[in-house]
Amino acid sequence: MHGVSRAATGWIGPRRALRLREPAVGYLFVAPAVVLLIAVLVYPALTTLRLSVTLPGGQLGVQHYGQLLSDPLFWQVVRQTAAFVVASVSAHLLLGLGAALAVAGTVPARGLFRVVALLPWVVPDVVAGIVWKWILNPLYGVLNDLLMAGRLVDQPLEWLTHPSLAPLSLILANVWRGFPFVMVILLAGLQSIPQDLYEAASLDGAGSWARFRFVTLPGLRKVLVVALALDTIWEVRRFGLVQAMTGGGPGTLTEVLSTQVFKQYFQFYRFEYASAMAVAMTVLLLAVSLPYVRMIMQEE
Amino acid sequence: MRRRAGTVLATAALLLLSVYVLFPFGWMLVTALKTEQEALRIPSTWWPHQPTLDAFVVMWTRKNYALYFFNSTVISLSTAVLSSAVGALAAYGFSRFPLRAGTFLMGFILTTQMLPGVLLVGPYFRMLSALGLYDTRTGLVIAFLTICLPFATWMMKGFIDSVPRELDEAARVDGCGWLGIFLRVVLPLSLPGLVATTLFAFLLAWGDLLWVSTLTHSESMVTVTLAIARTVQEFYVNWPELMAGALIGGLPSIVLYLALQRWFVQGLTAGAVKG
Repeated sequence: MHGVSRAATGWIGPRRALRLREPAVGYLFVAPAVVLLIAVLVYPALTTLRLSVTLPGGQLGVQHYGQLLSDPLFWQVVRQTAAFVVASVSAHLLLGLGAALAVAGTVPARGLFRVVALLPWVVPDVVAGIVWKWILNPLYGVLNDLLMAGRLVDQPLEWLTHPSLAPLSLILANVWRGFPFVMVILLAGLQSIPQDLYEAASLDGAGSWARFRFVTLPGLRKVLVVALALDTIWEVRRFGLVQAMTGGGPGTLTEVLSTQVFKQYFQFYRFEYASAMAVAMTVLLLAVSLPYVRMIMQEE
Repeated sequence: MRRRAGTVLATAALLLLSVYVLFPFGWMLVTALKTEQEALRIPSTWWPHQPTLDAFVVMWTRKNYALYFFNSTVISLSTAVLSSAVGALAAYGFSRFPLRAGTFLMGFILTTQMLPGVLLVGPYFRMLSALGLYDTRTGLVIAFLTICLPFATWMMKGFIDSVPRELDEAARVDGCGWLGIFLRVVLPLSLPGLVATTLFAFLLAWGDLLWVSTLTHSESMVTVTLAIARTVQEFYVNWPELMAGALIGGLPSIVLYLALQRWFVQGLTAGAVKG
């Protein structure tokens, strides 16, 4: 849009003269948002950064980071967060893509499915956490009932307290909560692929796999990147679901970075250490999202 | 023939997926309608033998959920309106004015969208205490701006970009100033986007647990999500009541989404698909 109007007016000459005072007005519109963000977001972020390099005597130093990097619990939580995010996001993408492809076809009631499917994503993640906690309850939970009735297990599974089942249970709930968003985004992407591309591919003798591989996937490239990036950012930050469902347990086996920083800060009162962990988490998050930021900014 | 087989397969897959999506909601409702005794029966009953609304009544009246619901509503609505209004103003500025620092500032806002809440919650306690805003709804609205304002700006910019500039020019010829163009031309034409943005901000604020756990301490400031999270951590859990609480906590999101879903889905996907 910008490019077009610039080209049309031959942009340096007449346009400049006409809009001499524009930037000042423009900054007035932008100012409230920028000033607010500096006050409510940049200032506390910098405060945390300063706290993370403040030593007990008040002088500055990086000891808290040394302590952090030599703490096995920190690395354990980093690994657990990475596993949680990778498993959740890949399941969201696979299930979301599958569902989007199915809904894009000629399936009955697909409009209804599309509307209803987003419900798990719409409700608070705390709600998702506790309903799954109830379904997975070892004693009264309905999933164990079903598995026992179907003779798939002979005694109730400890979904939320068994060291290797608890992380899986969290992911099961989080897949339920998160795949619908990816489905909706990919569905919109599918509908924006011109139909004649498929027809042309068919004429060239492409089978359904070839059409998927050479028309659908390339057509979805951009929405896939957006869905992947947004979903990763959200899942790294996920807090309420974990807090409500397992509280990080058993032990520390389902702690993620968000819940761990929260505990270090508000339960153990290790403010400087917690700040260092939060800064480390932010650096990881920014590193992961940098390619996305660059892609978006290049489009601007 | 092969096409038919594909449709059958897709239908079966979607049927299974529907069960996965809907069962937890159904189970929440079924459990909430049971007596506690029945909810603890092994194996579970599929349908409440003596359906009762007791759990809802207890939560709403004796367990203070009416108050929690009120708190959540006031906080989320204020956040949603404030962040989409300020976001829309900024989006208009970015979209329509040749700002030298425009790209830098947009990048700044995009980056703030990435910052995790736990990076900020620590200092907030002291900041809000210094302002006398700790343990107030206003304090929470300020905190929620950190989640909602960055994305509201980006989302609105996408919509305002798609309003043709020729309309601005026409309005200017008719004597409209910059604010007039924004209020009378650009905003009405990006109304679906404004609805989507406001709803998204509302959902984010309504669903938060991290901030409400850290910036409040008195009973009169508890929100629905905090109440649910507190209950599940208690030693003894009354499941029908907790499921009733969860339904109360999920209902506004569900109702608003269903009412506005056309605009909402359009709004969510517009940014991702175009360009």
